[in-house]
Amino acid sequence: MVEVHSVSKFFGDVVAVSDVTFSVRAGVTALLGPNGAGKSTLFRMMCGLTPPSRGRVRVLGADARADRGVRGRIGLSPQQDALFDRLDALGFVSVAAATHGVAEPADAARHALGVVELDPDDPRPVSGYSKGMRQRTKLAAALVHDPEVLILDEPLNGLDPLQRRRMIELLEALGAAGRCVLVSSHVLEEVAQLGSRILVIAQGRLVASGDYRELREMMDDRPHRIRIEADQPRALAAALVTSGAVVGVRIDDDAVVADTLEVDRLGREIAPAAKNLGARLRQVIPLDEDLESVFRYLVERR
Amino acid sequence: MTATLGTGLPTVDRRRVGAVRATALCYRVLVRQIVSVGRLAALGTLGAIMILVGWVVGNSTDRDGSSATGALFDGASYADGFGLIVIVPIVSLVFAAASLGDARDDGTMVYLWLRPIGRFPLAMAAAAASVTVSLPLCVIPTALGGWLATDFVAGSGGVALGALAAAALGTAAYSCLFVLLGLLFRKAVLWGIAYVLLWEGLAVGLGEFAERLSLRGYARSLLAQIADVNLGFETYRLATAVIVLAAVSVASLGLAALRLRHLNVD
Repeated sequence: MVEVHSVSKFFGDVVAVSDVTFSVRAGVTALLGPNGAGKSTLFRMMCGLTPPSRGRVRVLGADARADRGVRGRIGLSPQQDALFDRLDALGFVSVAAATHGVAEPADAARHALGVVELDPDDPRPVSGYSKGMRQRTKLAAALVHDPEVLILDEPLNGLDPLQRRRMIELLEALGAAGRCVLVSSHVLEEVAQLGSRILVIAQGRLVASGDYRELREMMDDRPHRIRIEADQPRALAAALVTSGAVVGVRIDDDAVVADTLEVDRLGREIAPAAKNLGARLRQVIPLDEDLESVFRYLVERR
Repeated sequence: MTATLGTGLPTVDRRRVGAVRATALCYRVLVRQIVSVGRLAALGTLGAIMILVGWVVGNSTDRDGSSATGALFDGASYADGFGLIVIVPIVSLVFAAASLGDARDDGTMVYLWLRPIGRFPLAMAAAAASVTVSLPLCVIPTALGGWLATDFVAGSGGVALGALAAAALGTAAYSCLFVLLGLLFRKAVLWGIAYVLLWEGLAVGLGEFAERLSLRGYARSLLAQIADVNLGFETYRLATAVIVLAAVSVASLGLAALRLRHLNVD
């Protein structure tokens, strides 16, 4: 339903997306990547909001930038928070329905707002809404015309846990009903809940794809870097090298920085090694557990 | 709407959105978005100043009995010099540049752009929204201020009518032009003010050719022709002035539609 072929996007000297190729069929697909990875740019190209510098993007077989009909079959919830702030939620979603040619826009808008659990009779303009309510208003506007392709840029931002769970259930139901649902996120655990196919984007490149289990294993198998603050760091470093639990060590400000492929084993070895040396352990900190490090590893590994 | 998909959402019937309906839908959104208390207060105050000064001019001039022509000239000059040079372009600029320019800057453009509607209706809706808001703010002070400045001598109704027509058509033409400007530049109001001051205000004094490229020349020709007052500059025929102002409006909207088609939307 969505085909991205050798697509690159440049903004001056900045490469936002670099030679990305993938295709997406019906069901839920998550685009995972750190902020600035190029996810939103890819979504914008899919919707035709900006043309690719190179390559080809097709949605339902057509270029949404040139084909008006295809634009009517896409639902987009953009990342930015902006809405038509003078309108209430029903007005905002009704405009979305009417401009998509929905026969009974007000009724459709009421249904869509009900689905995202917003009150269609709330008279407040959306400028008075919380971030979560604005997020759900955007989702209702994206859903209201029953699009075949639904593109949601960070749709779970600002939602509380209960709302997130319900939103994920809705997205799964849409995917099961044959819709192509593309969801971006920079939070791995969020994507895990979607139980979907995952495309990992980092530094503008597609660095991995698969289901959550495959990616989790890939990420767990990568080298880890641990900082160990203790008395006698040189002796402790030597002991860890001797044990074979590390592949490299260095001393940094009287702390041991150890690289390991077996993080669980290293965890078991540190305390006995320190005890044997009579050294006092002050702190053990993983240096690369953040998602950025994971993405960096995937980029370097590619 | 009929059955649901098991998602809580009904399947919906979709129809093609025609140009007129698309224009009306976008207009309803944009006209609400561009109006703000601050803009109305600032530009309304400007209009009130013009009316007040027009009344002062009309009452303070010491005329002898044969100076009705002079009074008409004063009124028409005032409508031209304040209304057509300042109020009409500035008010049009503020609302027209904001109509799509604000939507582009604040990220709401996507909610109109990513729809199965044409680009010309969107540009048309922006201009219509701008004209709706600008028209009373331009026409009332220009016509009323010019009329008051004539001190109600015989023929002053012609000055009011000429000022009204010139302000109305001028507002329409400037609005269309500035809708385009709002799509071309991020800080369109600054560019617009530079255009109004440097080109419409100063460059037209450079010669006949320059004047032919200014909207003001055609708008004040309308005023002079309808009021039957010689304002001391080249006056175009009524039909020429109307056709040129209309042509500028249509051309600007066409270019705005083209610009929308190729726009990078955030």
